[in-house]
Order: sequence, then C-alpha cells, then structure tokens
Amino acid sequence: MHIQELILRLQRFWADRGCLIGQPYDLEKGAGTMNPLTFFGALGDKPWNVAYVEPSRRPADGRYGENPFRVYKHLQFQVILKPSPAKVQELYIESLEALGIDLSKHDLRFEEDNWESPSLGAWGVGWQVVLDGMEISQFTYFQQVGGLDCRPVSAELTYGIERICMFLGGYDNIFDLVHGEVKTDDGVFPVTYGQMRQREEFELSAYSFEHADLDLHRTLFEAYEKEGWHLLSDLGHFLSAYEQALKMSHTFNVLDARGAVSTTERPGIIKRVRDLACGCAKAYLEFENAKTPTAENAESAEKSVMAGKGGAK
Amino acid sequence: MSATKTFLLELHCEEIPARFLKPLHFEFSQLFFKFLEKESLVPAGASVSANGFVSDALPDFLSPRKLAWRISGIPTSQPDQTETQVGPPQRMCVDEAGKPTIQGEKFAEKWGVPFSAVRFEQPAGKKEPCAVVTLTKQGRPTADLLTEALPGLIAGLHVPKAMRWGRSEFEFVRPIRNILCLLGDQVVPLQVDGVQASNTTWGHRLFHRAQPAPVAIPAPEAYEAALEAAGVVVSVDVRRARMAEQLEALATEVGGRVVADAELLDTLAEIVEFPKIVRGDFPASFLELPKEVLVTSLREHQKSFCIEQADGTLLPFFLTAANRTDDPAGFVKAGNEWVLKARLYDARFFFAEDLKHPLSDRLEKLQALTFQRDLGSYHAKTGRVVALVKGIATRLSSDETHVNRALEAARMAKCDLRTLMVGEFPELQGVMGGEYLKHEGAHEDVWMAVKEHYRPVGAEDAIPSTPMGCLLSLCDKLDTVAGCFAVGLIPSGSKDPLALRRAGQGIVRILWERGWDLSPSDLITVALGVVGAKATKPAAETKEALLAFFRDRVAYQLEVAGYAGSVRRSALAAGWEDLTDLKARCEALSAFAEDPRFASLAQSAKRIGNILKDETPSTTFDAALLTQAEEKALAEQLGHLEGTPDQAALLTALADLAEPLEAFFNAVMVKCEDPALRAARLSLLHRLRQAFLRVADFSLWQ
Repeated sequence: MHIQELILRLQRFWADRGCLIGQPYDLEKGAGTMNPLTFFGALGDKPWNVAYVEPSRRPADGRYGENPFRVYKHLQFQVILKPSPAKVQELYIESLEALGIDLSKHDLRFEEDNWESPSLGAWGVGWQVVLDGMEISQFTYFQQVGGLDCRPVSAELTYGIERICMFLGGYDNIFDLVHGEVKTDDGVFPVTYGQMRQREEFELSAYSFEHADLDLHRTLFEAYEKEGWHLLSDLGHFLSAYEQALKMSHTFNVLDARGAVSTTERPGIIKRVRDLACGCAKAYLEFENAKTPTAENAESAEKSVMAGKGGAK
Repeated sequence: MSATKTFLLELHCEEIPARFLKPLHFEFSQLFFKFLEKESLVPAGASVSANGFVSDALPDFLSPRKLAWRISGIPTSQPDQTETQVGPPQRMCVDEAGKPTIQGEKFAEKWGVPFSAVRFEQPAGKKEPCAVVTLTKQGRPTADLLTEALPGLIAGLHVPKAMRWGRSEFEFVRPIRNILCLLGDQVVPLQVDGVQASNTTWGHRLFHRAQPAPVAIPAPEAYEAALEAAGVVVSVDVRRARMAEQLEALATEVGGRVVADAELLDTLAEIVEFPKIVRGDFPASFLELPKEVLVTSLREHQKSFCIEQADGTLLPFFLTAANRTDDPAGFVKAGNEWVLKARLYDARFFFAEDLKHPLSDRLEKLQALTFQRDLGSYHAKTGRVVALVKGIATRLSSDETHVNRALEAARMAKCDLRTLMVGEFPELQGVMGGEYLKHEGAHEDVWMAVKEHYRPVGAEDAIPSTPMGCLLSLCDKLDTVAGCFAVGLIPSGSKDPLALRRAGQGIVRILWERGWDLSPSDLITVALGVVGAKATKPAAETKEALLAFFRDRVAYQLEVAGYAGSVRRSALAAGWEDLTDLKARCEALSAFAEDPRFASLAQSAKRIGNILKDETPSTTFDAALLTQAEEKALAEQLGHLEGTPDQAALLTALADLAEPLEAFFNAVMVKCEDPALRAARLSLLHRLRQAFLRVADFSLWQ
C-alpha cells in the first residue's frame, strides 16, 4: 500500500468514528504527543477526539539514509480519544482491518509498554501492539500530562506509518516504499520514499551527528528557555511559551545525539524542558477554567460549559 | 456439615502485563483465603499455610487477559453460631409472684426474645443466678457474603503500576471488561466499577471473529474446557509445558538444541493464550556477529530463542511464540523473520560503528560517565582498578609480560560502556569490550579477562574462566565494595541498592574457587589505600565494617558450599581469613564428623572449654608434675599433636586423642587440691585446646 493511501484510509476511518482530523504542528518534535492537539487536548474534561499525521524527528536514530529500517524522521499517525472508550481495543483492531490487514491470518498481541515523556511531565500505561512479531503501534492510556492528572483518561493510539507500509508490502528497505503516484499527461510516475527523503536523511543525520554547532545549540537552549518563561510568566501566554518548550526539547535531542550531554547533566536538562511544559499545562487549564461565565458554583459551572462545547473548538 | 459448592471468579481484562500476573494471582488468593477464614468458609481439607495461602487447591489460571481462581468445597452458607448473653440477677428480673419485672422484660427485649426464652442460671464468676439467653446467629448464605466482600477484595489488590481509564476513578492494572463469578451453577451478582458479574466470558479474539456471542460457563468445573474450545488455554503451566515440548522438537528438526532461557519461556507462557512455537530463519551472514549479541538481541527485541549446535555455535534459526496455533498464510513466520532481520541490521550497524575506532578511544570518554558521586567517574574507577591489579598481580605472578597484560585488561575493562552496542544492550557490558579487543587483535588473555570480568553476575553464574579474568573481576569488585564503604554506602538489612553483597560474594567465590593466597584483610588494606583521599569515613572504621562484611560473605560461602551448620560454625570460629585453610578444615571436619570417635572428642573439647572458663592457665607446664598414667599419656600425645603441620594430619592425630582424653576425664580430677598439680593440668588442657582451635572451635559444635 502506498504511504498516502494508508494515511487517507486512517483519516477516513477515524473521521467516520467521530474524530476531528488535525494537521501536523509546524515545529520539530520527537513524537506526535507533543503536538498541542494532544498535549493540551488531553487536559481538562471536555470531550476530545482528534487524529492527525505527525512527522517525528529523532536525531539519534539518524542512519544517513543507509539503514533500511531506521531513520532520523518518520511519520506517526496519532489518535486521541477522550474519554477512552470502553471498546477502544476493538476500535483499534477495526482500524487495522480498514487498512486491509486480515486479522484471521495474523498474530496480534498487546504487550506491556508503558509510555513516559519526562520532558512533557507525561506518562501513561499501555502496550506496544505487535503484529506477527512487529511493533506497529503504541497504545497508551494517559495518566498524567504536563504534570497534571488526566481526568478523564485519554487513549492515545500511535501508528508507525512507514513500518506498517513496509510490513504490508513486504519491503526490506524503507526507501523502496512508494509514497504515491504522480500522473501527468506523459504517464504515471510512482514516487518512492527514497526519492522524496533519502537525501534529507543523509543531510539531517550528518547534521545531527557531525555538523550541528554544539555551542550554538547550547546557547539556543538557554535562549528558548528564557523566552519561554518570559512569555509564560510575564504575559500568561501558554501557547507561544509551549512552542519554546518544543524547541528546547529538539535542541536537547540534537545535543544528545552528539553525546554532548553527560549522564549526570541529562536529568537536569530534561527537567528544565519539563518545568516549562508543566507551567504551560497549568496556565492552559487556568485559562480554560476562567472561561466559566459566572462564579456562583465554579465547579458545576465549569463542567456544564465543558460538556456544552465538547468537540466544537 | 452443609452442602459445598465450587467457586469460580474470573477477571477478564485488557492485556495485563506479564510480570504482574503471578503476583496478582497470588495476592488475591491470600486475601480470599483470609476472607474465607474470617467467615468460617474454609473448604474442608484445604491446606492453609502460615501465610494464609492454599498451596495445591488453586489451579494456576492466568493468561494475558485473565486472572481466575477456582476453589472447590466451599460451604454454601456459614455454620450457625450460638452465643450466650448474661443479664441482671434473677431477683431483679422476677418479682415474688414469679412475674417478670420491668427490668426482666427489658433484658428479653434487648436481645429480641420473648421473656419465656430467658433462663436463670449461675454463670461462672457470678455469685447468684442471673438471667441468661442463648442466641442463635444464623449463618449467612455464602453467595451473599461473596457479593458483598469481593468488590472490596478486588479493589484492595496491590497493583504496582495502577491505572485509571475512561471517566472512572477506579484503579486497576488494566481495564476490567468482564467478570465471571459462579458459586456452583449460580452467578454471584457482584459488581466492580460498573461491570456486573455473569456466567459468561470471552475467548480468544480470533475465536470471536466468527462467534460474536460470549462463552457461557455453565459450572465452574466446565471452565478450562469451555475456554480451550474458545481458543484460550487458561493454565499457564499447561501453556508453558506445551511450548517447551514444541521448542525442543523444532530445534531437533534442524539438528540443534535450544539455547535454554527459562525466564524467556516463562514470559512467553504469560503473553500468549493459545501458544504455538514458530521457527524462522535469518540470513546466515549475521552469524558473524558475536553469539552473545545474537542471543541478547533476539531475546530482548523479539522474545526469541536461538538454536545452537553441539559445539555451542549458533544456527541461523530462531524460535518464538505466536498467540494462535496455526499460521494459515505463513504471515506469522514471515513477519517474525522480517522484524528479526531489521533488528539484526541494527545490531550489525552498532557493531560496525563501534569497530570504527579502537576501544581505547573510549577511555577518555569515561570521564563523563559517573560511577558514583563521591568516587568520581568510570575513568577514575579505571585508574583505581589498574592500581589494584598492579598491587595484587605481582603477588600472584612474577612474569612481567603477564602482569602487563593484566594491566592492559584493567585499562580497557570499562571502555565498552561508551560503545553503541552496550548503550543498546547494557547486559552486554564486558562481553562487548572483550569482543572488540579480540577483533583488534589483543592477546587472548586480555580480551578474555575483559569479557568475563563482570562474572559471576549471580549465584548461578560461574567465575571467570581464566586467572586473569578472575583477577580483574576481583579488583573491579573490590574497588566497588571498598570504595562504597569508604564513602559511607554500607548495605544494611534489605537495603543494598548497589548490590555490594553480590560483589562481595563474587570476590569470596573467586578466592574460594581459585585458592589464591590473598586474605580479605590484606585486600581491604590495599583497596582502601587506592581509594585514598576520596574516602569520607575514617579508614579504621571502614576497615572494621569491611572485615565484618567479608566475614558474613565467607560464612555464606560455606553455606553455599553445603557444609553442615556445626562444621561451619566451629570452623569459622577458628579463623576465617585464610580461605584455603578454611576450606581444608571444613573438608576434613565434614569427613571426620562421620568417624565414631568424633562425638567423644567433641564432648571432651566442650568439657575442656567448661573447665578453662574463668581460668588463666599458663602455656608452659612441667610434665614431671603430672602423676596419673592417663594424664602422662595425654601430655605425650600433645607433643605429637603440636608437631603436626597440616590440617588433615592434625585431625587424624586429634581422632587418635579421643580415647586417651576420655580416659583422662574418667580418671583425673583436674581441679585438685595441690595448686602446682592443678596448674599443670590446666596448662595441659589449655595447650590441647590451642591445638584443637587450629581446626575448629568444638564448643560451637552441636
């Protein structure tokens, strides 16, 4: 299956089941969870279903476009369902069938894999979903995001798009995947993942392993942090401040890929990202709660308002 | 006895992590039996052990989506219980005409009985007859008690990593989606977090593709069979046994045997419900990777076993478990092969990347890797280990080349901590360093020493196979133990976060098995010298704590070696620092304990101890002062005894002493009137005791 076909089918499937179809967020990030649609969407108690593709950068996974299985940047398909439905596993399985996976012929397992993002102050429990021995998705019940308890709990489903495509097509090399076909007056031209991305993989790997200016990245980290706290503390702007936290996170990942972060410094640096992200989460909830029209009974009013505008954002 | 029924409870959940299944199953069993005890419902013949757990009565019903308990012989109701209530004296309850008084009627009313049910008896401890009623508390139906108690018992389970789901505040290991609860053929109508118990459950997901209805369980006894028909083998032991059988058969088919891994088999049995072992193959070119890398990568990433030939070399096959008993389209095999290949590509990438630079390049990088806050980096640790090897190697070998190789191994030992492969598989530490050095053409002594220097990693593991490996392992562990003690990190009680006891045991085992002439006391002195100024505690204090620590480790070593308690106690008390000597004495004592003369000798030794208590005998005496034949004979033997050089011969000599000693005690009164004679006799016994103590302190023999 072409990559774009897989994405389209997943979008159709989840839209039909009451999900908003979101878009990738235009900043570098390590995982789809970092998109504000998930980070802020998982907070508070308004109903929230959203699905979107997220390109995810992991500088340490870069292999110069030479490794057939591992890449600097891959695509995640992310689904958030809040509150988590009782039949969430069945829904997920149906989504696989919508991709043409005939589960009567495969071995599907949910194996423990708890998710934690120390830089987002977030964790959850769940599984890696294993199809015939391959991890194709991550399935998480969020317990905390931004240091705050999730009430209600969201279910997060993350599909590894390239992996599933490779697996379905029996490809031995990620770069042989076909993204889609270009049709012109001259004919039909399939475009491979390699054509679109291999050079990018090479350059981005070289950048993160060799050429990234470490001093610049250290400086950037400090600057983003300062900017973030200024936005959050002085102005109460949690969305622009959160962007700074995302930039800090990616800057840290670049430094980390170069081995420029010692094991002892590491927790301290991650904590600096987390502190800002948690501050943003708290400010977001305060902002949402302050939308309550009157203050006669803050708690019940908040609930009715939240319920009233569910999904309409 | 009332009728009994079989109880069955099944919690059907979303996939429960394998590691929690057994602990949860066990804990609930305990809670449930405490409940049965409290409510007088324990099945007849159930063996409740001290911790409240029934050992055999419970089948091991657990699977990824199920925790289930079945117990037969549960009474359908509690037995009736009677109790007696004592009220006011008779004279206050009935008037002279024999009519009840107000007080009398109130007493009957209080216990809900007519006055006619009140009797007048004189209970023990009372001076006159009093009003008495006997109340019968009717036993309640078990089903009611279960309905009330089970939700609390389930909610009360200790879940290490509990979660919430949806809008509920209920916490459990994973969402509970169905509850099956039967007492006989009746549903126990309990409810947990909105899930109502029924007499149905769910089988394998594959089964329910064709069968959308749940599986009905008419009675607890029908449980396993009904589930097996629905694609779930609910007993983990049955699954494990079936898998073990298939593993062996599939390995034999390709002319090899499974690289055994009991832990992996346990895990696989816990993550599938309907097991089948799948054999796949991988490109033979990956066999160039070190065996340990393949075994670890397959185990950690793909929960797969390797297959090896008789000589230990691997075959290009792997074995793993699928959660279905067929593979209709071959997808399961092909998929696992595909993934495994991807993993091995990665392992090969790490291996090739690591080999691009000599291992020694990582030495400087160890400075950025903290070993322990006060003790500094792994670079600093390497420096100390090198110094220790230098200090100790020269005592074991005078061959300069050999010593230099040991120093080289010590310098390289920790470098692999900065390699990609060890970053990916921390358990390959040491192994990778060794493999990389081998590739670089290092001397076999050096790479073998590095490769094995973390051994023994546990009680089951062997010590390094080469002397140099043992030396390096010993020095590394010695630095860890002495260094940590010197900065106040001393294990206490159950707290030993740095696993210092295991390291200490490793040191003792190496000394014990190698028979090296190195005493713990010497080793401690050398090690503390190397730790030097990093120490935050006074050296004398640290040394004392370390000696006590090593003595405990030596005592444990004797236990592991299988010596009887009396051998261990008496041998240790006569000195524990010279391990070679201690071993020889334990061996000799164990053999000698079978000798019929031994009991007599031990008895005599104890008598000597008692006699000499509170005495301060001199070590010299004039044999001419002795008068009786028995004591003269003994004095003669003493000389022979003291001249005996080795332990075995000494024990033989001691054995020969049994009879004369017995004769001595029968005939001679040691504490006689004559002070000179008495002193001589005490000295004789004292000297004998000194000779005994070269082997053991028999006063501790029991």
